[in-house]
Amino acid sequence: MNEERQNERDSQLSAMFDGELSGAECELLARRLTRDETLRGQWSRYALIGAAVRAERGVRLDDRVARRVQSAVAQEPVYGDSAAADVAAARSGTSSSNASQARVDAYERWLRFARPLAGAGIAAGVAAVSILWLRTQEADPALLASAPVTESIVLEPEPASTTLALNTAQPDPEPISNGEPERYSTPAPSSQTSIAPPAHFANYVVAHSEYSGPLTRRMALLGIVGADSQAESATEPESEASSRVEAPDAP
Amino acid sequence: MTAEESDLVLVKRVQRGDKSAFDLLVRKYQHKVVKLVLRYVRNPAEAEDIAQEAFIKAYRALPQFRGDSAFYTWMYRIAINTAKNQLASRDRSPIAYDLDLTDPEESHSVQTKLQDPDTPEGMALTEEIRGIVNSAIEGLPEELKTAIVLRELDGLSYEEIAAAMECPVGTVRSRIFRAREAIDKRLREVFEGGLGRTEEMV
Repeated sequence: MNEERQNERDSQLSAMFDGELSGAECELLARRLTRDETLRGQWSRYALIGAAVRAERGVRLDDRVARRVQSAVAQEPVYGDSAAADVAAARSGTSSSNASQARVDAYERWLRFARPLAGAGIAAGVAAVSILWLRTQEADPALLASAPVTESIVLEPEPASTTLALNTAQPDPEPISNGEPERYSTPAPSSQTSIAPPAHFANYVVAHSEYSGPLTRRMALLGIVGADSQAESATEPESEASSRVEAPDAP
Repeated sequence: MTAEESDLVLVKRVQRGDKSAFDLLVRKYQHKVVKLVLRYVRNPAEAEDIAQEAFIKAYRALPQFRGDSAFYTWMYRIAINTAKNQLASRDRSPIAYDLDLTDPEESHSVQTKLQDPDTPEGMALTEEIRGIVNSAIEGLPEELKTAIVLRELDGLSYEEIAAAMECPVGTVRSRIFRAREAIDKRLREVFEGGLGRTEEMV
């Protein structure tokens, strides 16, 4: 090594010792320092010059502590795998820190995209399961039939005639109400089995109304009314037909 | 780059498995750590033992070091805690103080250990080095002397020294390097082969 280059290297060493060397130069020199014993001796003497200038009384101006620590650390485990990293970096022409940093960056980039996708996937899965479950609940008549109507709430269906009589009667003066209905009128249980029995369904809806939203409750009640209408329209032609058959016998 | 960042480069090398990088950190800070511990224990030999223990503890804890603080600040705390623990354990076991004078051989070894850095040879070596460094500094041109003293004694950064000496930072770097080289040359002349062999010479 010529004198000029050696001076430049020593100047860098002095600057690194003071923490005044640029990052890239510091990395390169640190790698060289760990291999070059002459340079390490120079590093030690720079430390010693500082200690001598500061006149640190009671402190021995030599490397005794460093040598004792070095022999003790030799018995300690090695962290990481610098040799392999340095060899790989030297072959690829990049520093080991750059290589490891690039790996970390790539992993973080992958995580940045994967996290939202995973979240969306989980949300979609939960939604799909919920929809399927709701459909199963709606389509399962056994569940509706087994709804705890009589046990959960004391509501007895009234005969249609009673309700009619009440409707045609003279209205009483309106009692003072606290907003809660005093009684509920539910339709009589239907004998049809093709759809959910309206009375049971209505009881079920009323019993669980506190757990459902107003819109859902209204939709369910509309469904009951619709079912009743269908049932009535299905029975009316029969009576008409029977009346038509009976008509010739009439006087 | 600051001194903290420069040390961090070495710390990261240690964390990747380069033990010799830790040796560089020890060589750089060993005198400061011993001086720090000497505030807690009067005996220089004991201070060296505590400093050694503190450095070993630091090496063991280095995988957890994230660089949130400077390496020396972190090392400083470890050294103080080690010194305090040592004092506490010594209070619990007064045997370390009460030399058994009935056993002359053991008494002699303990006394030797306690006085080790204060041996005439050790003292002579330290004083010799100090004398060489001081005389070398005295022989330096004024601008080199000012630059190295501002750096080593007052701990100023290159930028602060440049402002104080009214010159570019590059000039400060060059002056400090030339001052160190001149002092180092004198040291090398006295201790052939460097200070790594001073123990053998003693």
